[in-house]
Amino acid sequence: MSKVRGVPKVPVLVVAVVALAAGTASAQQALDRATALRAAADALGMVRWSDIGAGTTRLPGIDVVNTMEFWASGTIDSGGRAMKAEYHAALGYNPAAMRVETTTGGTGAAAQRTIQTVREPFAWDESEIGAGLVPGKGTATPAMAALRERALLLWTLPYGVVKAALAAGEKTTVSRESGATIVTFPLDGVLAGVTVRATLDAGNLITRVETRPDNAALTALATVTEYSNYADRAEVLTDIKTPGRIVRKQGGRTVIDIEVKKWETNNLYLVFPVPSNVKAAATPSR
Amino acid sequence: MPIAAARLVAVAAALVVASGALLAQGGPPRRTTNAPPAPSGPTPRTADGRPDLTGVWNALGNNLNGIPNQMSNNGIVIESATAARDLHSGLRIPVFPRNTTRPQNYEEGERAAALLRRVGSNRPIYKPEHWETVKNLDHNSNEEDPSNNCMPAGIPRGGVPSYIGQQKDHLLLIYPGEGGLIATQTMYRMIPTDGRQHTPLQELDGTYTGEAIGHWEGDTLVVDTWGYSANTWFDQIGGYFHSENMRTVERFTRNGNTLTWTVTVHDPDVLLEPWTSTPRVAVLNPNPKAVLPESLPCSERDLNNLVTKEHH
Repeated sequence: MSKVRGVPKVPVLVVAVVALAAGTASAQQALDRATALRAAADALGMVRWSDIGAGTTRLPGIDVVNTMEFWASGTIDSGGRAMKAEYHAALGYNPAAMRVETTTGGTGAAAQRTIQTVREPFAWDESEIGAGLVPGKGTATPAMAALRERALLLWTLPYGVVKAALAAGEKTTVSRESGATIVTFPLDGVLAGVTVRATLDAGNLITRVETRPDNAALTALATVTEYSNYADRAEVLTDIKTPGRIVRKQGGRTVIDIEVKKWETNNLYLVFPVPSNVKAAATPSR
Repeated sequence: MPIAAARLVAVAAALVVASGALLAQGGPPRRTTNAPPAPSGPTPRTADGRPDLTGVWNALGNNLNGIPNQMSNNGIVIESATAARDLHSGLRIPVFPRNTTRPQNYEEGERAAALLRRVGSNRPIYKPEHWETVKNLDHNSNEEDPSNNCMPAGIPRGGVPSYIGQQKDHLLLIYPGEGGLIATQTMYRMIPTDGRQHTPLQELDGTYTGEAIGHWEGDTLVVDTWGYSANTWFDQIGGYFHSENMRTVERFTRNGNTLTWTVTVHDPDVLLEPWTSTPRVAVLNPNPKAVLPESLPCSERDLNNLVTKEHH
C-alpha cells in the first residue's frame, strides 16, 4: 500500500514543481513585460502626471500621447522609384487615425500632392485636407484596399508600438538578444494576423520595428522600420521624444527615408471625420 | 523670469508648504482618482417640486488638471491606480504608478498638464477650413487666448458655476474670477425661468454670457443661450473659437450633493456638427454656512515677455 500510496506522489510532486516553475516563469515574464514597456514608455515621455493645482489629489501617471503632427523631407517610393518628397503626417490614437500628405516633384506646377487618410476601419484619399465633408469642398475617394497598410504605418510608430504592446497584454513577450531588449506581440483589429517585433536600445528607445503577416502573400504588411536620432522637436515643448530619421522598408525595398524637421506632440487639434460617401461605399473589414 | 511666472512659482511653493502642513496635521487623505464621488444625501426640492440647485458648488476646489471643480474636463477618468478610460470613446487608457516621489518642477508640471488637458478624444468637429485656425490658436494660446488679460472666460467656458441661487422664476449663477493661475473676471448670470421667449438674435448685442433662458425638463434645468459676442473660446483649452451665431444648451442635474453639467454647442457657421461636452460634476460645499470667498484680483500676465510656447 505504501508503494501504491507512494506512486502518485512523484507525479504530484512533478506537477507541483512544474506548475510552480511555470508560475514563476509566468510571473517573471509578466514582470519583464511590465518593466520593459514602462521603460519604453518613459523613454519616449509617454507617462505623465501633474500636480499643478491638484490639492490633495495624487493621480497615477497615464499615457498622454494622442494626437501628433510632423513634417519631414527625404525620399518615398513611387512606382518602384525613389522620389524626393516633402512628407507631412497628422495622426492620433484615440481614435486611431492618420493622414499622410506627400508632395513630390518640387514645389512648382509639376508638384504632385497626395493625401492618404485612415481612420479605422475606413481608408480614403483626399483631394484636399478634409475633402468630402462639406459639399463642394474637395473629393474623398474610398481606398479600403489600403486600409491595413495605412493602419500599420500608425501602429509601427514608436508610440503605437508601446500602446499596442500594452493592449496585447499577456500575448506580449520580452526577451534579450545581443544585449538588446526585444518586445514581440500580435496586433489586433484591422491588423489581426500581423506580429510586431520591436527592438529597444540601451536607453529603452525603440530603434527597429519589424512586422510579419501570418499570410506571407501580404507583402505590404512585411515591413522593417528604423528610428534614430530621438529628441523633442516640438515648438511647444512637451518632453516627448520623437525620432529624427525614419527609414522604412517593404520586402527589403526602401519605401520611406525621411529626416524629420518638426514634430509637434502637444495633443494638438487634429480630427479625422469620415466622409459620408466613404462610410457608404466602404465595407469595413472587421 | 516674467512677473506672472514668478507669482506662479510663489503660489506653487505656497501650495506645497500648505499641503505639507495639512498632511503633518493629519489632513484629508489624498485622492488617487478623479472619478466623481458617489452622490450622497437627498436631493432637496423647492415648494413647487423642482430640484433645488441652490448652494455653493465648490467642495472639490479648482484644478488645472481636469479634476475638480470641473471634474473630468479633460475627458479621462482615472478610476483607480490601474484603470482609466476616455469618457467619450470608451477607450481604455494605460495607467502607470508614479516611479518617483520627487516633486515636479514647474516646467515639468506645466508640460505634463498641457498634455493631460488635451489627451481626451471629445473634440468639436470644425469645418475643415477652420482646422488650421483652431490648431494655431491653441498652439499660440499664450498670445491668442481671449481670457488672458483679465477678460471674462464667457459661457460655456465658465463650466459649472460655483454658486447657484434658485428662485421661483429665475436663477442666479456666479462664476468667481481666477486671479492667479487663470486670469479671468468674475461672471454672473441671471437666468429667467418664467416661460419667456428669446429676443430675436439680430436685436441682441453680443455679450460674454449671452441671453440665457431656463426651463425644466423633468428634474433637469435646461438653459438655452444665444446672443454671444465672438470674443471667447467655448472650452478651457483647444483654441475653440466660435461665431456670434453660437447657441448653447446647458443641462444641470442635481443628485444629492452632486451637480452634473453638460453643454451642447451649436454653431453652424464654424462647426460641422453640434458638439456636446464631456459631463462635469461639481460637489456641494458640505458647510451649510459656506459663502463664496472674494476673487483674487486679476494678475498681470506679461504676455509680451513670453519667449516659449508652453502653456497649460
